[in-house]
Amino acid sequence: MKRQNVIKEKDGKRYFFKFSLNQRFQHITMASCVITLILTGMPLKFKEAFWAPYLYNLFGGIHVAPTVHKIAGSTLLALFAYHLVYVCVTIFKFHIMPLKQKGQLNAGTLIKTLINLPIMPSLKDLEDIRDLLKYLLFISDKPPEGAQFTWKEKFDYWAPFWGIVIIGSSGLIMWNKELITRFLPGEVINFALIAHGDEAVLAMLFLFIWHFYNVHFSLSVFPMGTVFLTGYLSEEQMAEEHYQYYREVMTAAGLEDQMLPHHSRPRKDAGEDVPTPAEYSEYDLAGEAKLTDN
Amino acid sequence: MTLKQILKSVGSCFIAILGLTLFLPVNASAADIGNCLLCHKYPGLSRVDEEGNFRLLYVNEDIFHQSVHSKIQCEGCHTDVKKIPHDPVKKVDCFIQCHVIEPSSEKKFSHKDVRSFLDASVHAKVDEFGNPKKYSEDMPTCLDCHDNPLYRPLSFFKTVRPGISETATGRCRVCHKQDEFIYRFYNHITTRLHKIRNPRNVAEVCARCHDDAEIVKRHELTTRAAYSYGETFHGKAAFFLSERVPDCLDCHVNRGQSVHQMLSSSNPNSITHNNNKDMICSNLDCHPKAAPGFAKYKVHPEFNLDKSPAKYYFTVFFLVLTGGTLLPLMGIMGLDLIRRLFPNAALKRRKKS
Repeated sequence: MKRQNVIKEKDGKRYFFKFSLNQRFQHITMASCVITLILTGMPLKFKEAFWAPYLYNLFGGIHVAPTVHKIAGSTLLALFAYHLVYVCVTIFKFHIMPLKQKGQLNAGTLIKTLINLPIMPSLKDLEDIRDLLKYLLFISDKPPEGAQFTWKEKFDYWAPFWGIVIIGSSGLIMWNKELITRFLPGEVINFALIAHGDEAVLAMLFLFIWHFYNVHFSLSVFPMGTVFLTGYLSEEQMAEEHYQYYREVMTAAGLEDQMLPHHSRPRKDAGEDVPTPAEYSEYDLAGEAKLTDN
Repeated sequence: MTLKQILKSVGSCFIAILGLTLFLPVNASAADIGNCLLCHKYPGLSRVDEEGNFRLLYVNEDIFHQSVHSKIQCEGCHTDVKKIPHDPVKKVDCFIQCHVIEPSSEKKFSHKDVRSFLDASVHAKVDEFGNPKKYSEDMPTCLDCHDNPLYRPLSFFKTVRPGISETATGRCRVCHKQDEFIYRFYNHITTRLHKIRNPRNVAEVCARCHDDAEIVKRHELTTRAAYSYGETFHGKAAFFLSERVPDCLDCHVNRGQSVHQMLSSSNPNSITHNNNKDMICSNLDCHPKAAPGFAKYKVHPEFNLDKSPAKYYFTVFFLVLTGGTLLPLMGIMGLDLIRRLFPNAALKRRKKS
């Protein structure tokens, strides 16, 4: 992925590359599997709830729904395996190979590269959380300037990562209970059931409350974020959530004089009000002037 | 209306009633030789007994005639009723000798064998020395489990659908001429080839005592059995009316024996005894490939610090993880919504640059 391809202009607006087609395919497959797993799993977890038999019967009831659940679970695990390979190949191709070509590949540089991958949690995330809390509690008026992946997105990535490991392995244990109990005590199935169900509830609440709020229901993106379909972020979202990265990208493209001010919130009538790239310099200058005047 | 017309109407009514009586189904009054339903057919028939309990004495004819005992005469069980109107009757003793002839031995039938089974089972009222057990009044009597369920016919000739298989009854008809006899015996046999109750109903019957917190405490039982069964996949599937999952009886009754012979898990002859447990799971119909370790799975898990501390803390870990993750995140969401109402408010203003 080259930096100059990050910015794309269409109909006089700038869009910023976020997810490749491959990544979007992985995401939508995962989302479909997870939703199917929730719909066929939660009626069993909460069997006494009034909605449970109706929802379960929608998937064929006790004779069919468990099979649907297993198909979705297997697909998700296959996707997870694919994702692990994809991640390894990507890291090798874009991070390890360049090091090797430069002759700098050793244990130290490798660990440093891995730690510094854009999706890895970093000290900046803690600073961003601190700044966000200060901003949300009205202590400061400066929200954090997000990097390519904000702490929220890293959370959204690593939480399901942990979730798939826990829910997937416990699901496999329960599915292959006869085999597993040849090596492990029978009580492992009890623990697997607890882990499978309880972690699934956590994952479901996390996705439907936190993830959906951030990517769909937050006032900045309501009624629906489209980046999971298009792969591109609007300039307003970019400036609001990833200002640090936005600055890097715009600077690299020689467009630093056309940058939007930090924390620009799109208004409902943003369609008319947001200036076109041609008007940016004027817009920005006015903003600068206003700030210096005060 | 003239006298002649009145007599004519009464006469035609009489003929109509006589005609109806002749064409009524034979079994509609088959068991009521003593004409007990003359009084007991009235829905309001009731009294307050000597102990002050309200007793409903009404017998619903339709239900009675479809029941297991529809061919038994009332006085066959209520043996102390000798005249009508009768005195207050005693409780029915299910172990008396019936008037029915048992076809294989051609002797009068009786349930009394069940008593000997029960007396040797975990549900016996007396211990092995014949002394009454502690809280023997809690032990089940016939009616605690048998609520005279209606037949649940099964079809197993090629197509499986509810109802009586005409293919099967066709074979019966070769020798047996009376349809009423064929249907009764068809039901009699098919209800013994599978269970009268589905797994969920079986668990519900056991739950009457085994989920009663008082009884569980009094008898020092380790679990509320039906509740904890409901926490497993078996119990959940049974709840959604699966017929294939094991219910209480599939595991707690020794193979080839009847429910009345159920033994305590502390009895070395019991299938639920620790040494025999793996035979339950690994039987041919369930998990034939299961290793002995498989049966160490706790089929009655309870969220209980005393009985299973490891599982308790494991569950608590996930609860804390869920709360610890979601509550702060939801707090941030709430603050974010409020912050958006006052985008420019802040204690410290940003440095102008």
